[in-house]
Amino acid sequence: MLAVETKNLFKQYGKAQALKGLDFTVDEKEIMVLLGPNGSGKTTLLLILATVLKPTSGIARVMGLDVIGQPTKVRQILGISFQDARGFWRHKPAEILRFHATICGVPKIKREQLIDQILKDLELWDARNKLFMHLSGGQAKRLEVAKLLIQRPPFAIFDEPSSQVDLRGKRIIWEDIRKLRDEGTTVLVATNEVREAEYLADRVTVLDQGKNVVCDTVRSLKDKIAGGDIVELQIEDLDKAGLLEALSRLEGTVKITQTGENQCRAYVSMAESWVPKMTDLCYKKNVRVTSVRVTEPSLDDVFLHFTGRALEAAPSVE
Amino acid sequence: MSSVARIIWFDLKHELSPPVWIVMEWLSFGLQIAVYGALIARLVTGITNYLQFYAVGFVVMMTFEIGSHTGRHFVEHAHEGRLPYLLSLPIPRRTLFLAITLQGGVELALMLSIPLLVTLTLIGNLTIVSTIATVATLFWLGFGVAGLMLALSFIAFRSADLYSAITAAVSALIIRFSTVLYPLIFLPQQYASAALLSPLTYGADLVRLFLGFDPNMLLNPTIAAAVLTALAISTLGLGAFLLQRLVEGVKSG
Repeated sequence: MLAVETKNLFKQYGKAQALKGLDFTVDEKEIMVLLGPNGSGKTTLLLILATVLKPTSGIARVMGLDVIGQPTKVRQILGISFQDARGFWRHKPAEILRFHATICGVPKIKREQLIDQILKDLELWDARNKLFMHLSGGQAKRLEVAKLLIQRPPFAIFDEPSSQVDLRGKRIIWEDIRKLRDEGTTVLVATNEVREAEYLADRVTVLDQGKNVVCDTVRSLKDKIAGGDIVELQIEDLDKAGLLEALSRLEGTVKITQTGENQCRAYVSMAESWVPKMTDLCYKKNVRVTSVRVTEPSLDDVFLHFTGRALEAAPSVE
Repeated sequence: MSSVARIIWFDLKHELSPPVWIVMEWLSFGLQIAVYGALIARLVTGITNYLQFYAVGFVVMMTFEIGSHTGRHFVEHAHEGRLPYLLSLPIPRRTLFLAITLQGGVELALMLSIPLLVTLTLIGNLTIVSTIATVATLFWLGFGVAGLMLALSFIAFRSADLYSAITAAVSALIIRFSTVLYPLIFLPQQYASAALLSPLTYGADLVRLFLGFDPNMLLNPTIAAAVLTALAISTLGLGAFLLQRLVEGVKSG
């Protein structure tokens, strides 16, 4: 069974269309990352799945349950960590978590222990009795994530889980999200941070202007970019007759340019299979390769490849 | 503890620790009655025991303000992003809206408790039935006003400023053109006609009837009870309907 399935999903805010006939699926027990710029419709999709927003038209199902027809049942199997920490200004982190755990049915017997543990894990222990309004942006965000880590629902939604959080905090959050997946939770993460997507994703869906542009594993998406891998070579006697020409004819080579004396840069598809062929060729031609440096494309490049625009420069539709 | 009680208590405990806001309401009432009420009662000669009349009117005004505060509070929650969180909790919508409504009711009860007690003591000579009927009327009025503010909340999703301006204007008109401070029979014809449009007129006159004021200067109680009932049911129903459509239809927070 699919954990999430949407068909021809539309959402309109006044005249602006946030989702334009979105078809999208998430498999059970995977981390699906929704990658897209601000305004691409990520948050709208998450809020519809969480039954906070109603779609204008189309179908959306979570674990086989229709978000319009069975909203309470949907809410009973999911949890959402919002993009902005939701303001209970005069409450303290420990009591916010206690309230959330109680409402979400975390058994009383392990509730307090779990809350203490998560507060310590997310380095919120010292801030547990501060008022919410006195928390830093990073602390408030970690508290938002903590709610889900305590709830541990079958389907967890994280909207930009590590924005405003420092590097060390990001690592902790990412590890905790992976642990959730390892324990059997299906996880949907929306982000516009390439590093977060690469670190977390089992699969990535690229969302742009309310549409699903492409969906695959990170590896496959990168491999789909012809000439996306860059191989920088240092070769003795590069000028030896026909070597550059021979390299350019190797399977997988998209473009090759000489960048200096005995140096060249090759734009190739799937560097992992191109490099052995290149070394074979050099061996046969009795030429010594002194240095090989491979740079693979980032998800930024993937977004650019499939949408024609850089992730950061993409326009907003909302 | 049920989900409804948990949601109510989660916020309410902060109102009570310490109960600054509630005590300020009580002090404001005390000051108003002890100073302004006492002075104006000496000037008004057409109504016997005007201080008591004034005290009841002030309690009705407080009911209106607390009820409208509850409605506005809900809209603020939508704007500051708390509402989406509440909407995502694994409880039925009906339970959530019931909790929010009852929270307003509990706040109303807490804030009115002392002023009402003072007013009842001031009037004296009351029966249990008249006291219960008074409390019930005030709650009914409070729910009606909260519902009215909720029904107006669709404006807030377009513009929070416009909502504030409209609710402030509506509140001012509803209070001024009503019988909270003066009986309908003493009002000039134009004012009396306008006062008949204010829900506070019906609330204030019904409460005064239960508290033993002269029925000759009050509205027909059956009509007053019918209007208040219609107001509460229609505005709460409309408010809940609009909110369910609006809250889940627009992006807030």
